Amino acid sequence: MTVYQETERLVADPAPGITAAPHDDNLRYFDVTIQGPEGSPFQSGVFKLELFLPEEYPMAPPKVRFLTKIYHPNIDKLGRICLDILKDKWSPALQIRTVLLSVQALLSAPNPDDPLATDVAKHYKENEKDAQRVSREWTEKYASG
Amino acid sequence: MTEAPPLFFASSDDEDVTMQVDDDAHKDEPQLMQRQLFLSTNDDEEEDPHVPQKRHSSPDVDLDQVFLPRASSVATSSMSEYISISSDEDDDAPSLPQEPPPTKKRRLSPPAAPPPSSPNSITFPIYVGEFLVLNAWSSISGSGYVKINDSVKIERDVDPPVFKRTSKGEKKGGRQTGTNGKKQVSLASMLKTKPSNMKTPRKKDNDTIVRLVTIQGIEFGRLPQEVAWWTSKLLDLDVVELRGKMTDCPSKLAVGASFIVSIDVYLRPSAFTPIKSTNSDNRPRVVFGEGLETEDEKLLRERKNAVLQLFEVVGIKPQAGYSTNKIEPDPAPQEELQKTDTTQKGSEKRVEIVGDGEEVEVEDGEDLSKADLDVIYKRAQHHDNTMREMEPEESFALTLRGYQKQALFWMDSLESGRMDAREASSLHPLWSEYAFPSKPNGDVIDLTQDEKPFYFSPYSGEISLNFPRFEHNWTVNMPNVLLCYTCAQTYIYFSFPFAIRPPSILEMGMGKTIMISALIHSNRGSDESVNQTSTSKHRQVKLDNAFRPMNLRLQNPRPPSATLIVAPTSLIDQWGEEIERSSKPGTVKVLVWHGQNRNDLEDIIDEDENSEGDKSRRPIKIVVTSYGTLVSELAKMEKSGSAIYEIEWLRVVLDEAHSCKSRSSKTAKAVYALKARRRWAVTGTPIVNKLEDLYSLLKFLDFKPWSEFSFFNSFITLPFLARDPKGIEVVQVILESILLRREKNMVDKTGQRIVDLPTKEISIENLEFTPMERKIYDSMYNSAKKNFDELRQKNLLSRKYTHILAMLMGLRRAVLHPHLVFKVNDEGADHPADDGIVDINEMVEKFSEGREKSGAFAEAVLADLDDQRENTAECPICLDVMQNPMIVPECLHKCCKDCITTYIATCEMKGEETKCPSCSRGPIKRTALVEVVRPVPNSQNSNPDVVLRRNDFQSSTKLTALVKDLEKLRGIDPTFRAVVFSQFTSFLDLIELALERENFEHFRYDGTLDVKKRHRVVTAFKEASRRPKVLCISLKAGGVGLNLTEANHVFMMDCWWNSATENQAIDRVHRLGQEKTVYVKHYIVSNTIESRILKIQKRKTALVKEAFRGSGKAQSGNEERDSIENLKIMFGES
Repeated sequence: MTVYQETERLVADPAPGITAAPHDDNLRYFDVTIQGPEGSPFQSGVFKLELFLPEEYPMAPPKVRFLTKIYHPNIDKLGRICLDILKDKWSPALQIRTVLLSVQALLSAPNPDDPLATDVAKHYKENEKDAQRVSREWTEKYASG
Repeated sequence: MTEAPPLFFASSDDEDVTMQVDDDAHKDEPQLMQRQLFLSTNDDEEEDPHVPQKRHSSPDVDLDQVFLPRASSVATSSMSEYISISSDEDDDAPSLPQEPPPTKKRRLSPPAAPPPSSPNSITFPIYVGEFLVLNAWSSISGSGYVKINDSVKIERDVDPPVFKRTSKGEKKGGRQTGTNGKKQVSLASMLKTKPSNMKTPRKKDNDTIVRLVTIQGIEFGRLPQEVAWWTSKLLDLDVVELRGKMTDCPSKLAVGASFIVSIDVYLRPSAFTPIKSTNSDNRPRVVFGEGLETEDEKLLRERKNAVLQLFEVVGIKPQAGYSTNKIEPDPAPQEELQKTDTTQKGSEKRVEIVGDGEEVEVEDGEDLSKADLDVIYKRAQHHDNTMREMEPEESFALTLRGYQKQALFWMDSLESGRMDAREASSLHPLWSEYAFPSKPNGDVIDLTQDEKPFYFSPYSGEISLNFPRFEHNWTVNMPNVLLCYTCAQTYIYFSFPFAIRPPSILEMGMGKTIMISALIHSNRGSDESVNQTSTSKHRQVKLDNAFRPMNLRLQNPRPPSATLIVAPTSLIDQWGEEIERSSKPGTVKVLVWHGQNRNDLEDIIDEDENSEGDKSRRPIKIVVTSYGTLVSELAKMEKSGSAIYEIEWLRVVLDEAHSCKSRSSKTAKAVYALKARRRWAVTGTPIVNKLEDLYSLLKFLDFKPWSEFSFFNSFITLPFLARDPKGIEVVQVILESILLRREKNMVDKTGQRIVDLPTKEISIENLEFTPMERKIYDSMYNSAKKNFDELRQKNLLSRKYTHILAMLMGLRRAVLHPHLVFKVNDEGADHPADDGIVDINEMVEKFSEGREKSGAFAEAVLADLDDQRENTAECPICLDVMQNPMIVPECLHKCCKDCITTYIATCEMKGEETKCPSCSRGPIKRTALVEVVRPVPNSQNSNPDVVLRRNDFQSSTKLTALVKDLEKLRGIDPTFRAVVFSQFTSFLDLIELALERENFEHFRYDGTLDVKKRHRVVTAFKEASRRPKVLCISLKAGGVGLNLTEANHVFMMDCWWNSATENQAIDRVHRLGQEKTVYVKHYIVSNTIESRILKIQKRKTALVKEAFRGSGKAQSGNEERDSIENLKIMFGES
C-alpha cells in the first residue's frame, strides 16, 4: 500500500533532476537517474542508480546503488553509497524521494572524512582540485551518455 | 496288607520318577499283585475280556471297603483338614445321581460302553472333543494286549488328587483291581511322604506319566511327553476324563513301539467347580496342609495352561466373549483367546458357529469386536430407558424429571445392594463362551442338543456352565470385600459428562447436584446399623486410639449417617447452596468445611444424634469440603489424627472426580484414605488423557478387582497399549456396570431429548498476526523446530518430552501476546496504577519547558487535536490518513498507532535506538507515547473531549480482536454478559488491562482466589446491571462446575489440548437455565501452532470417545507413541 502510494506520487510529482521508475515485473525495484548538481564536479552528468525496497520497508531503509561509475569519496567502485540515512539514521518517515534527494545532495557535498572509497577520499583530502578534475573526467567519460 | 504294601510301594513310587521304561513296567506289575488279582493278570493275556471283568467287580467292591476306612484313618491320624475335604468329596460323588456311567460301570457295563444318556440337561462327563496321539509308545512287549479299535483307558497314577477321588475312580468303572491297587499304593505313599513334604511337590513337578491301560487293566504304554504334560495335569485335577481308542498299533508290541491312539475328552463335573472353592479345597489337598500359597497359584496356572492346551488340541474355539444373549441372535464372535493368551495364532478367517447354529465368518476380530462393543453400549443405554423410576423422599423439595427418577432408582439400587437395577447381560470380560461339540458317534447322546454353552476364562483357567455375568461376579465378591475391609459397601462410578439439567422445572442448577441431593434424601442408610457391627467396633477401636471421649459411642454405636461431598474449591459453596435449595427447610444440615476455621467435625456430626426422636426426622448431615482441605487433613492425620478421616461416612461423593486422576498424587491418596460405606464419583471426563485416569477412580471406588493396579494394568492398560481390543472391551464392561452416563443430547423413553437447551453457535475466527508478532512467533517457532529436529535425530524425543512441551508452551504464549514470551523491561509498564489518562496541558507544559518558540508549535498541535478535521492528517510512515494517532511526547510528532509501535518494536528487535521517525529525536519509549482517543461517536457519555492516553499498554492480535468484538457487542446489547476463558493467567492480566482501558466492567476468576472471593466475584458478575460485564476466567480454575447462565457470549482466547476441557468450559454458560442462544468464539491465529492443536484435539476426542462409545479400535494406544505423534503434528510433520 505504502509502496504503491509512494510510487504514484514519485511519478506524478518528480523531484527536480531525479527520475525513478519501478520495474514492470517488480514494483519494489526502481530504475533511478540523478542529474549531477550544478556547481559540483558531477554537473551535467546523468547517473544511473538502482533502488530496491526490502520487504520491511518502510521499517527498514531502501537499498540504493550507483550503476554509473563515479569518482566520489563516499561511493565505492561497486556503486555502494555511504549515507547515514541509508543505514542507522533511517527513519520510516523518510521516503524514496527524500532518499534520492539526499543522494543528490551527497554529490554536491562529498564528505572525505567518512569515506567509503579510501583512495578517492585520500585524493580529495590531499588535493581536492585534482580530485575534482578526475571526478569531472569520469562524469564526462561515464555519465554523459 | 494294611501295613506292608504301603511301605513297600511308597518307596517304589518315589523311584518311579526316574525309572527306566522297563523297570517301570515291572514295577507296575508288582503293584498289581493283590491277592485276588494275581490271577487276573494272567487272564489278561488270554485275550478274554469277560473273565477278568467279572472278577473286577467283586474285588472292586472289596477294595472299596478296605480302602475307605483307611482313608479316614489316615485323616484322623494327622490332618483334620484333610478329613473334611475328602469326606466332602465322597459325599459329593454319590450326590451326583445324574452320573450314570459310574453306577453302571461299577456293576455291569462293559468298559467300552458309551456313557448312557440322561434326561437331564447336562450329563457328566461332557464330551468336548477328541484328538489323536500319533506317537504313543509301548511300555511292554508281547502280543495280544490291544487290537485296533480296542478301547484304551488313560490313567494317571499315584497323584494325590486322583487318590482323593476314590469314589470317582470307581465310577470310571471297569477298573482293574490293579489300578485300585495302585491307588492304595498312592495312599500309602502319601502317608509316607506327608511328613517329608519336600518330596511331594517335586514329584508333582516331574511326574507327568500318563499310562495307557487296557480294558483289562494292564498297562501297555504311555502317552508321549508332549501330550502327557497337560493331560496328566488335567487328570490329576480331575478336570477331564479321557477315553482312548486304539487307532493303529502293531499286532505285536515291543517296548518303545509307537501306536496311534485317538482320545475322546470328557469334562468331569469337578471341572466346573468355581475356582475359588477349588482353590481353598485344593490347598490342603495339594500341599498337604502346609498351605503354600505359591503352590496353589502354580497349580492354577498349570491348570489354566493345560485347559488351554486341551482346547487347542481338540479344536474348541471361543464362540463369543460378549453379548452371548441367546435370545438375540447377534453375538459376534470374539477374537480367539489364543491371541491374547497363548500363541499369536492367526485368527483371520474362520467360520464360527454361534449358539443357535448361525454361521458367522470372521475376517478381522478387531472390527467385529468394535461392532460388538457398540452393541453393548447401546444395550446398556437401552436398559437405561426401561429402567424403573423412583420418587424422591418428601424432604426433597424439587420435582424430578423422568430420567432423573430413573437415575435415582439406579443410584438407590446400587446403594441398597440391589444389583438388578440395570440388567446387564454382558459376559464377564475375562470369560469366553464355548459350545460343547457334538460327538460324531451316533450312539452317544449329543449333549449339544439343548445348546448348552460353557464358559472358560483364559485368565484364571476357570470353567463354568453358568453364564458369568459381570455384576454377578461382583456381588459374589462383595462379602469378601466386606470381610477384608471395614469400609465400603457399594462402589459406584457414575458420570454426567455434560451435566444434565432439566430445563423448566428447576429454573437453574446442576443436574448432578440435584441427583446427589435426591439420593441423599432418599437413601439415608438407616438400615445400615443392623449388619455392620463389625465396622462399628472397628470405629470404636479407632476412637480409642485417638484418645477421644468415647463413652457415648461405646454405649450407642451408631451406623454412619453423614454424607461427605468433596468438590473443587470453586464449587463447594455452590454445592451447599444447591443442596439446601433442593431440600425442604430443616431436613438437611449442610456444613461447608473449608478454610481456616474448620469446626470440630465430630461434634457437628454427632450433634443431636443422640437425642431421642424419630430417626428419619433428624436433619441429614452433609459435609462439603474441598480436595485441598482433604490433602491438608491427610497430612494432619498422619501426625495427630484428623476428624474427617476418623469418621466413617455413610457416603462419600467426589465431584469432578477426575481431580484425583493421578493415583500417586496427594489428592488421590487423600480420597483413597476416606472411610465410607458408599462411594460415588461424579465427573464429566472420567478419562482425561489416558486410560489410567480411570484407574484412580476405580481405586477410589474400591471396585475390585480392578482397583488393584497390577490387575488393571495387565487386563486393561497393557492390552490397550498392545492395541489389543481386549483392553477397551474390559473397560466397556466395567463401565457398563458402574457407570451412568447422561448427555445433553440423550433421549428419554418417550423419545424426547432429556435436556432441551437453546442452540449454541460456535465460530472460529482466524486472525492474522501483525508483522511484528509474526516475526517474533516465526523466530521462536524456527528455533523450536530446529531443537525438535535435533532431538529427533538423536532419538531423544521421549526423554526430552517435557523440554519440548515447554517450548510448545512458549509458542502458545507467543500466539497470544508477545509480552507473554519476552520479559518487559519497563518496570510497571504493563501494570499502570491509573488508566493511563494524560493531561494535555501538562504535556504541553513539559514540552515547552526550557525551550523557546516551541510554545507556538505545541499550541498548534493541540489545536489540531481538538479539531475534528484533524483526522485528515497524514502519517509520515504509511503516508495514509492517520489512524489512532499517537504523539511522541518529546517532540509532539504524530504517527499512526500501528506504524509507530511497529517501528519501535522493529528497532527494539534490531537493538537499534528508537527515535521519532519525523525528527530522529530519541530515544523514545513505547510506553511514553500518548494516544489520542476520540470519544465513540454514538456514546452517550457527556464527554466529547479528546482524551490523551499513555500508550503503556501493548495489545496483540487476539486482544485487539476481543476488544473489537466486545465493542461491537456493546453497540448491539448494552447490557451483555460475556465470559472470556484463557488458560494463562498472565494473559488474563493483559485482557483485564485491555478491558479496563476500554472501559468494560470486568471480573476476574482464577485459582488464586479463595472461596469467599470466588463466590463474591460470581455473585457480582451475575448481579443485574445496565452496563455490560465481562468475566475473565482461568480455564483450569473455572472450567468446571460454575454456573454462568447469565452470560450468553463465550470467548475462548486459546486452545486447550483436550477439547473436552473446552467443552466443559463452554458448558458453564450453555447449560440448564440458559434461555438465549449461546455464542462461542474461538480466536485462532492462522499459520501457528494453534491450528495444529486443533488437530491434536481431534485425536484426543477420538480417544475419549473410544472408551465411552466403544468405537473399538485402539487407535492411539501407545501413549508414548501417541505423544510423539502429537509432537510431530505440532511441528508440522503429519
